[in-house]
Amino acid sequence: MSNFIIRKLAVLGAGVMGAQIAAHCANAEVPVLLFDLPTKEGDPNGVVKRALDGLKKLEPSPLATADRVQYIEAANYDQDLAKLAECDLIIEAIAEKMEWKLDLYAKVAPHIRADAIFATNTSGLSINRLAEGCPASLRPRFCGVHFFNPPRYMSLVELIACKGTQAGLLDDLEAFLTTTLGKSVVRALDTPNFVANRVGVFSILAVMHHTQRMGLGFDEVDALTGPLIGRPKSATYRTADVVGLDTLVHVVKTMTDNLPGDPWQRFYSVPQWLQALITKGALGQKTRAGIFRKDGKQIKVLDLAAQDYRDASGKAADEIVAILKNKNPVEKFAQLRASSHPQARFLWAIFRDVFHYVAYHLDGIANNARDIDFAMRWGFGWTQGPFETWQAAGWQAIAEAVAADIAAGEAMASAPLPAWVFERNGVHEAAGSYSASAQTLQGRSSLAVYRRQLFPERVFGEQETQGSTVWENAGVRMWTTDDEEGKRVPVLSFKSKMCTIGAEVLDGVREAIKRAERDYHGLVIWQPKPPFSVGANLQQFKPALEADDFGLLEEAVANFQATSMAIKYAKVPVVAAVVGMALGGGCEFTLHAPRAVAALESYIGLVEAGVGLIPAGGGCKEFALRTAQAAARTATNDPMAFLQSVFMTIALAKVSRSAKDAKEIGFLKQDDIVVFNPAEVLYVARKNALAMYESAWRPLLPPAGIAVAGRNGIATLEMMLLNMREGGMISQHDYKVARAAAVALCGGEIESGTLVSEQWLLDVERAQFVELLKTPETQQRIAHMLEIGKPLRN
Amino acid sequence: MNRQIQDAYIVAATRTPVAKRRGAFKNVRPDDMLAHVLSAVVKQVPAFDLAEIGDVVVGCAMPEAEQGMNVARIGSLLAGLPNSVPGITVNRFCASGLNAVADAANRIMLGECDIAIGAGTESMTAMTQIMGNKVSLNPAIFEKHENLAIAYGMGLTAEKVAQRYGVSREDQDAFAVASHQKACAAIAAGKFKAEITPYLVRGHLPDFASSAVRIVERVFDTDEGPRPDSSLEGLAKLKTVFAAKGSVTAGNSSQMSDGAGAVLLMSEAALKRTGARPIARLRGFSVAGVPPEIMGIGPIAAIPKALKHAGVNLADVDWIELNEAFAAQALAVMRDLKLDPARVNPLGGAIALGHPLGATGAIRVATLMSAMQRGEAKLGMVTMCIGTGMGAAGLFEVV
Repeated sequence: MSNFIIRKLAVLGAGVMGAQIAAHCANAEVPVLLFDLPTKEGDPNGVVKRALDGLKKLEPSPLATADRVQYIEAANYDQDLAKLAECDLIIEAIAEKMEWKLDLYAKVAPHIRADAIFATNTSGLSINRLAEGCPASLRPRFCGVHFFNPPRYMSLVELIACKGTQAGLLDDLEAFLTTTLGKSVVRALDTPNFVANRVGVFSILAVMHHTQRMGLGFDEVDALTGPLIGRPKSATYRTADVVGLDTLVHVVKTMTDNLPGDPWQRFYSVPQWLQALITKGALGQKTRAGIFRKDGKQIKVLDLAAQDYRDASGKAADEIVAILKNKNPVEKFAQLRASSHPQARFLWAIFRDVFHYVAYHLDGIANNARDIDFAMRWGFGWTQGPFETWQAAGWQAIAEAVAADIAAGEAMASAPLPAWVFERNGVHEAAGSYSASAQTLQGRSSLAVYRRQLFPERVFGEQETQGSTVWENAGVRMWTTDDEEGKRVPVLSFKSKMCTIGAEVLDGVREAIKRAERDYHGLVIWQPKPPFSVGANLQQFKPALEADDFGLLEEAVANFQATSMAIKYAKVPVVAAVVGMALGGGCEFTLHAPRAVAALESYIGLVEAGVGLIPAGGGCKEFALRTAQAAARTATNDPMAFLQSVFMTIALAKVSRSAKDAKEIGFLKQDDIVVFNPAEVLYVARKNALAMYESAWRPLLPPAGIAVAGRNGIATLEMMLLNMREGGMISQHDYKVARAAAVALCGGEIESGTLVSEQWLLDVERAQFVELLKTPETQQRIAHMLEIGKPLRN
Repeated sequence: MNRQIQDAYIVAATRTPVAKRRGAFKNVRPDDMLAHVLSAVVKQVPAFDLAEIGDVVVGCAMPEAEQGMNVARIGSLLAGLPNSVPGITVNRFCASGLNAVADAANRIMLGECDIAIGAGTESMTAMTQIMGNKVSLNPAIFEKHENLAIAYGMGLTAEKVAQRYGVSREDQDAFAVASHQKACAAIAAGKFKAEITPYLVRGHLPDFASSAVRIVERVFDTDEGPRPDSSLEGLAKLKTVFAAKGSVTAGNSSQMSDGAGAVLLMSEAALKRTGARPIARLRGFSVAGVPPEIMGIGPIAAIPKALKHAGVNLADVDWIELNEAFAAQALAVMRDLKLDPARVNPLGGAIALGHPLGATGAIRVATLMSAMQRGEAKLGMVTMCIGTGMGAAGLFEVV
């Protein structure tokens, strides 16, 4: 075995994709050079520098922390080509023009080291034709790596070999993309638009075709084709606006030009109205007008009949919503097909044509059905790919319905479904997923990198394991996997919705820790599905609040604090394995765990202020302690130097925008681990627990004397609140809540510099919490959150 | 030396150009800026025995860190003044520099000495938190409602003044634009040339290629703050920062700055002995308190007091340096006292020129002296509001 290390990476082209890929490399601690054309006047790296500035303004941010941008080195093709010799991987991401790319290849090829990999991020040009533009010596090290926009957030990367690509090279690259950059790789074939865009763009064209045919409004179609059918909120037309209508036309054109003889060829063109928008310069979001337009706060939508924008108000009909909410997919599809409502007919039509399309093309565009399903999940944000949707809805019933529509001339194309469709009862089975080209089931990749994914994402119908339960109660499940390491370190998962923390979870965590101390070498808190936890189960506060039983409430808080402390002081390492949101109590568990392993996409925060409360599961205590410890290392020993930002973080209920951001804010410790691929978090967490155990790790003794900021500290923080309240920026109750946080963070209204214990700090935060609970404003906030799910400003 | 009351004459005044916070002076220490103006101001008169300087009084609003440890003494020693010359740092927040000039004059007027220096220095760059390097408020402030305003930020007090005196956002922005325009015109006409002693900024920077320390020198001789492109449209776009429904923005507030100024004063006897020519004499100086929540109106209390003390009429004051802490308070003061706008800040004010807190008083005395030397002012005033609710005003009469 030899290590595959990308010591330095170059991205050619500082456009939207190139710059964002470079940003993600910087996120991942991969040194990166970002190249573009030299600027004629002024700084020769002007083009790249402008792109770097642009990265800072993009939302959602491509940068894990704001300072990441400084780790991208600007370069230009005139002066810096020699620097390519330092790079192990060069990704070309310039405009999608064959001639431009080939020109550039000729220019850079002499500078690429003999053992370096050269890859193109083309979204649809032929990899083999591009390979021909490389010198023969470079071709074995040439391939396609196709990222999706925005590359930090879209998990899919398609990996495409050219005819001569060395096999081992793709395996190495796949490991790098998966572990280091945290992406999900699908091996694609060199066919136009590869897998995700091929199916995804067809799906958009099908939606457009049926929209027009049935005379539906674009807003109505977006209401139908978003979360209601498991697709992103931006649905179809708003996605087109976000992507850019010109870009969409471009990918469609790849299909127009390169797929002669395809049964759907006549649909590979953009509708007249869309072409007209482009002619007018209405390209979507980037030009502030496209299919949708924002007029002040009102969202307007293009109305084809009126040839003008009107207020967007399209909705899914109640009866359709009722059908789509049906949890049984077999019934759902049967009802859709049975309904004569135009929205139902529309929805069936778009599903049917995509089913038809993927079945027909499976053998030509993908290795197997799983790759198509994953490509659509990871590249287009669908919760289910087309094959698994079909299979879940009853394979043969759907197949017959599709076939009947084809026969009746209702489908977009008349090509019959391939014969294999009728010979099977689905495409995904325990043994693997169907490959039409190999006419067999194909299992998962055997690459070593996937051993790091203990519970990879599964498609419907694939075998799923859930480990063996060793203990459970109503709130938690403690379980192990059957391998050697799995038996040593059990996993603790919460059963509650959004992994909220109620009494049964608290009891369960403490019991699990007891059992781990007795029988195991560590414990990993990990949830099979994100979030890690959205915090305390407020619902459980309700009865006590209604009964004004504050004694009971205080007990509940004390129970929370005891659980956090149990995590912190467990005699075997308890590792918090965080993916997604870790809010409120979830954040407090993370803070108390001697080690956290967090996916890059972790959104951690103490958001109690939103419901008129302060962190009281040890969150304020932990920050008071940490600021005291940080201050003790400075000459002035002044905790205020650290407390002000902590205070604002809690008062404003700030949430981290990445795990790295969480480290900067202080929600994660500096030695906590950031893992780029969420599917690897459990593996890394377990390895960490074992490493700690093997290091004869013991929890630190409780700190002997914690110097607090005290009364002067509270007054100093209160100054900020006073100014915000007097300036009308916060309410009186905001003031009250934030002041309670100040009191807890400063260790109570005692003399500054007094030495206290953790228990004192816990008592102070708990007392402040209960006082807030007694206020009508906080009670209103809690009630509002439980009803509406959003914070109330009062 | 006799012990009777005598006049104090200003014989020289100079200043550094004023830099934006983290601007040209970002690596220049406030004690070095002070030493610079101290050594420059004594050179502006015929040579005399520097040991005759009875005291160096230096204003500084945040006398700590780089400008701590009695910066007056350190600056004097760095300037090469004799060991026998004492130094004192005074703090009256934004009026520190003016108060230092008045205190230096007092030394002479009381007959304690014949020569004294009043100065001011402030690096707001050095004050990373603006309110000082360790902010710590007294809990007692929050225990009594009437004490709350001690904790008000300056911007909030400006909002309160704008509300109470009905100063609109439009008027504040227009005032700010005018300040920039006047300052830019003054710079173009070279009106600050005489009062500024250019500063040779020597930066010690790493030369990564040679691994050596590279000295980068730059002569800094012009105020950095004024913006020729300041416009009503541009200012109207700025967000209010101190209140949700407010009118005070970064654009109609004074700029945070770094700078220093020094004023050399002599008794009549010293004038005769040294042959120095007097520019003006201090006619009067007063300080007065106002409610802290509307600290910006301080001059409304201080100006009449100073006029009365000096025995002069407002109508006779032909040049007024009114520190523009905020357009809102400057306009409130001007309207309440019916100040003639044509006489107020003819060369622009702190919104354009910057406001290095404790240095501003000494700096603007230098500006007034320069105007007097050009024959543009006969009876001038330097006045400002002061955080936590005070005002100061000094009257200077050409000789």
